Parts: sequence; C-alpha cells; structure tokens
Amino acid sequence: MANTFPVGFSRSAVEELSRLKSEPAWMLEKRLHAWDSYERMPAPLGRRGDLGTLRIFSNFKFQQLTPYMPASAGDTLPASIAQSLKEALVDQRSGLIVQENASVLRTELSEELKNKGVILTDLDSAVRDYPELVQQYFMTTCIPVESSKYTALHAAFWSGGVFLHIPKGVDIEDPILTQIWLSAPASGLFAHTLIIAEELSSVRYVEEHNSAFEGEQPSLFSSVVEVHVKNAAHVEFSNMQDFGQNVWTITNKNAVHEKDGSTTWVLADLGSHAMLSTIGVGLLGNGSAGELVGVFFTDHDQRYSINTLSDHAAISTNAETLVKGVLTDESRVEFDGMIRVRPKAQQTASFLSDHTLLLSDACRAESIPGLEIGANEVSASHGATTGKIDEEQLFYLMVRGIEREEAERIIVQGFFEPVLQRIPLENLRSRLRRSIVRRMSKGYEGALDTSWIDAQERWEVEGVDEYAISLNSPAEEEEIQLAEY
Amino acid sequence: MESELIIKNLHANIEGKPILRGVDLVVKKGEVHALMGPNGSGKSTLANVVMGNPKYEVTDGEIWFKGENILEYSPDRRARMRLFLAFQYPMSIPGVSVANFLRRSLEAVREGNKPLEEGDNPSGKMAKRKSIPPGEFRKLMQEKMRLLKVDNSFINRSINDGFSGGEKKRAEILQMALLEPEIALMDETDSGLDIDALKIVSESVNALRGPNLGILLITHYQRMLNYITPDFVHVMFDGRIVKSGGPELAFELEEKGYEWLKPSDEQNGVMVNG
Repeated sequence: MANTFPVGFSRSAVEELSRLKSEPAWMLEKRLHAWDSYERMPAPLGRRGDLGTLRIFSNFKFQQLTPYMPASAGDTLPASIAQSLKEALVDQRSGLIVQENASVLRTELSEELKNKGVILTDLDSAVRDYPELVQQYFMTTCIPVESSKYTALHAAFWSGGVFLHIPKGVDIEDPILTQIWLSAPASGLFAHTLIIAEELSSVRYVEEHNSAFEGEQPSLFSSVVEVHVKNAAHVEFSNMQDFGQNVWTITNKNAVHEKDGSTTWVLADLGSHAMLSTIGVGLLGNGSAGELVGVFFTDHDQRYSINTLSDHAAISTNAETLVKGVLTDESRVEFDGMIRVRPKAQQTASFLSDHTLLLSDACRAESIPGLEIGANEVSASHGATTGKIDEEQLFYLMVRGIEREEAERIIVQGFFEPVLQRIPLENLRSRLRRSIVRRMSKGYEGALDTSWIDAQERWEVEGVDEYAISLNSPAEEEEIQLAEY
Repeated sequence: MESELIIKNLHANIEGKPILRGVDLVVKKGEVHALMGPNGSGKSTLANVVMGNPKYEVTDGEIWFKGENILEYSPDRRARMRLFLAFQYPMSIPGVSVANFLRRSLEAVREGNKPLEEGDNPSGKMAKRKSIPPGEFRKLMQEKMRLLKVDNSFINRSINDGFSGGEKKRAEILQMALLEPEIALMDETDSGLDIDALKIVSESVNALRGPNLGILLITHYQRMLNYITPDFVHVMFDGRIVKSGGPELAFELEEKGYEWLKPSDEQNGVMVNG
C-alpha cells in the first residue's frame, strides 16, 4: 500500500488527514484550530546557558516529514513486532492495542472486561462511537491544545491512538498493554492516549514504544497522554521508550485527579536521539496523590530534556517524584523538576529526588529542582545529586578479582535497583534490567551474560539467593548452631 | 614458584605528597607479619599500593609476587593472583547482594592470572569465565561460615550496606576464607571492634592461619597481637620500616610507645631496614 500523503505540515494537510479519516466536522474544526495555534506560537527555546535540547528541537526539520504514514503491513504483524509482543506480558494481560505508524493494527479486550462495560478502542473509532466523551476530554482540561507549540501540532495531526474508559467501580488487575511501533523513516507519528478512570475504578496500563527502520532520515514521535482520575480511582501507567537513534521524541503526559484519586507513573527512557518529555501530576481534588518513578540511560549523543511538575491545588495532597539516570558517551540530560503548591493547598506533602551517575567525561547532566510554595502548611523537599562512579567502590570490587568493566556494571545495577524495585510490573522490571545490562555490555564480545541478573532477581523476589546458602534447610541450620556452641 | 611478596625500596605519593619513602619487606606463605606504627606512618598506604589503588602514584621501587613484577597490573589481576586485602573501611555497595558478588568474585579468582595476549590490556583480561555450580558454591559458603561462626543472615543483604563495624570486619574475613589467598594484607582489622568482636575476629584469623597463607597484619595497637601471635613484627615510621624483630618487639612497643623509634634527622639518611 503506497502512501500518497504529501510531505510537510500545512493547513491543507490537516484537511486532507481529516477527510481520509471521514471525521465529523467538530474534530476537523478542533484540528484546524490547533493548526492555527501551532503557526502562531513560538517554539520553546529554554534558558540561556542550558544544555540546549529545546533549541535542537526548534531546529528540527519538521517540514521534511510525512505527517500521516499508515502501517506498511496491512493486517499481519511484522516479525519484529510479533517477537516483541511475545516478550511483553504474554500470559497476564487483559487487553492489547498494537499501533504501527499512524494505524492501529490490533485491539483486544478480555470478555470479562467487555461485559463490565470497559471500553478499549483506537481513538479514531472513539471519535465516531463516543463523540461526547472525546469532545469532553480530548485535549481540553488535562493537556489543553495550546500547552505548547508541539502539543498544538499534535492536536492537529494525531492519528490512531488509544481510548480507554473504565466504568465506576471496575478494577483492572491484569495490565492493558499498548505497543506502538515506528517503522518508517521521515514520518511523523502522533499517538494519543486518553484514559478516563471513573469513580472507584482502577487500572494498570503499560505502553511500549519501539522502532524498526534503518537509515539516517529521522522520524518524529509525538505523544500526548491524558489521564483523568475520578473520585478515589487509581491509575498505574508504565511507559518504556526504546526507540532507535533515528527517532526524535516529544511527549506530554499529565494526570488530573479528583478527590482521593491517585496515579503512579513509571517511566523508563532508553532510546531516541533526542527526547523532550513533560510529565505532570495535577492534584486538583482533596486528598489526591501522585507518584512518579523514572529511570533513564543515555549513550552516544542522545539528548534528553525531562520536565516534571507536581501541581498541588487542593487540601491534603501528596506527591513523590523519584528519578534515577545514568549517562555515558557524549549524551546530555536536562532534568527540571518542579513542585508547585498553590495557595489553597494546605497540608501538602511533596518530595522530589533526582540522582544521576556519569560514566564518561564527555557526558553532561543538569538538574534543576524547583519549589514554588504558596501555602503555609506544607512539607516539601527536593534533592539532586550528580556524580561519577565512586572510585573507592570500584577499587573494592576490583580487589576482589572483578574486572573494571564488570565492576562498573555491578555498581550501575546497584544504583538503579532501588528504583527498579518500585516498578510494580515484574515483566517490565525484568526486561528493563536486561536492557541496562545490555547497554553496559556494549562493545563486549559474545552473548549477554545473564547469570548475574538471574541471581539478582532471585534475591529480590525471594529475599534469598539460592546460590548463597539455604536458609530453609533445617538440617544444615542445626549443624551450624551445633558448631557454634 | 614460591608465593612470596617482595617489596623493594617502594616510594609512593598521594596527590604529589610522598607517603612511602623506601619500604623493603618480604612476606612468605605460612608467615604472619605484624606491621605496626603510629597514625600517618604509611601502613594503610602500603596495603593500598600493594593492591594497586589508583589514588596512589608509585614513584620508585618494585613489588614482586610469585616471581612477577606486579606494579603495572590492575587491582583485579593482582587479586586473581591470590593477593588479598581486608579493608580498614569496607565500602558498602547498595543494591548488590553479598552472595551474588562473592560467587562472581570466587569465579574470577579461580580463573587466576591469565597471561597477556598480544595487544591486550594490562588487566590480563579473562577470555571466558567458568561459572561455579550453585550447589558447590553453597556448600563452600556454608563450610566457611561454619568455620568462622558467621551468622548466615548477612549473606542476603547488600554488600556492607547497613552492616555494623564488627559485621563489616567479619564479612571481610569471610571473603578472605572463601577466596583462599596466598598472601593477605589485613588493614586495621582490629580497629573499631569491641573486645568481644576482637576476640571473634582474631579467632577467625587463627582458624585461617596455616602453611598456605601468608598474612601481613596492619595494626595500630598491640591488643590484637594478644590473640594472634605474629612470627615477625615491623615498625613503620614516616614511610619506612625502621625496626623489625620477633613477637617480643610488640610488647616492647606496648611499654615504650613509638617515640623512641622515631628516626632523628641525622639518622634519616643512613637508616637501614631490619
């Protein structure tokens, strides 16, 4: 299926896209309005003297991209996607969406959840089937169209995407998985995720972003994730981003909470040449809470800008942000973490920490934690550390016969462990651990040695490493005690 | 090849400041040497330099082990030749289990000192590591823990993370027992221990003592030598060994302190090491 969509972003491209999708007039209108905002708004450039990630994005050649690139494969999944699906949550998922480029290829939802009234569909279908919900929630209060020039472009060209609606009181324990694949060079993929968790409902949701195409011509991944958490609902959102080095990524994620609602963000970023990531926790309802656990690992000349906002706007809200990252080669990461406590937000507790480890001389990290406190009954703190591997720790391991490269790997794994243990999904945690080792083993000969990780995992899961000593073998225990007295 | 550690005229600096100013010392398998001396005399520096700590710069002299000049070898290669250091301040490494680390360490040490291949780096990089079967490792571990009367709970914690001073020192000795070095340097293993912990640690060292192990026991105080009788005692002052003798020298030091051994300025030039 040849794609005949013209190259470059324009007002007529917006109209053409909407026509191809046979969209209702209100959506076309929303897209055109967004396009006008995009044209009018300036690109964010960052502060003078920062590491320059925003300026790099402002120079990105958007006009060389094709705004709409349907899936290449038709109905069958490409082999690489099929393989990846095998590794991801095979047994335990309750729903699945696979999107390749601008097209959603597959949507599955367990019969049980269908019967309970859960809606899981691509956003194109939702525009047609649930127009009231989409009109109410799509880029209105959670991430408004004009949040930035890039969100405006996203609103004008979004395609495919996920719509998930969880009715009142329904708990979704087995995760719903979305896999998004970019398989074409020089294209824009505008994936949108809209989750509405009604009162007292809960859901575990996982999104994985990968790419499979060769060549230097970069593609753009633009993602907007909007999560609406109603009274006492809970959403756990995990995201693993492992794009190739020929992908540029701009993502905006935000969760808005009603009374006693809560969200857990788990974000793992490994890929992309450049990434601009904004994550928010909007605590608008009394007693609401947000948690953000983030892990990143950059190498080559990767550029990340990560921005978090804990926005406290009601009484007795909690937020905790914990980000840990490792940089090597010539990569650069800017982290900007903001805690905002609005005047009405008494009895706020908010905590933020950001720790980065630098493995090379040429990599650079900049961390700017910020506090804006407008209330007086507040407990808020932030902390950031940036440093190299402790030479004394390294020496300690080497004096025990372990080579430098492996000693570094062991220390890096230990550095990530406390955050990895906060990742609720075992499958994700395990694959992330392996990705980290793979990165650390770059340039090594031979296959990945996983025996270390296997033992480490047994230790974490069971609290016991079977290689160590059998703690539940009474005969031997007694022997030890006998020897002691 | 005899398992001898031979230190010849060793000079070393830290950040340009000379600490070791010509150390000569020979430690053979089966012998226990005590290295004593006041704070700042260079005892710990010597242990670190022998293991190849990159913080220190060797400016002159040689270190030979098993007939090889190991001065250019990386610390891990020295360890794989079965040279061991029990640290004065063992590092904690959060998030890494003791057991996993020790198995890895034992695998490495068993690989031994691989000859350098052409164009290889000075770490004597190992080609392929033979893994130790879990059953074997567990058995070995239990044997050593029984020998040293170590409680088996600490093995499932992170390396030295949250360990008390005494636990850290005992963990070092457990590592020593497991890795079976030929020469072990024990850096102030007695410091920070109360009398009960000191007894336990000393008993552990005595349990490991034998014809296959040479020990250099670095200590500030004589008290550990009440439990471990050395074959030789050396006194270090200002980066040199200024006196050597038998176990009786330790008692003499206990009585007289170190001041009487302080080399005077005119002596400095002609001091001969014991």
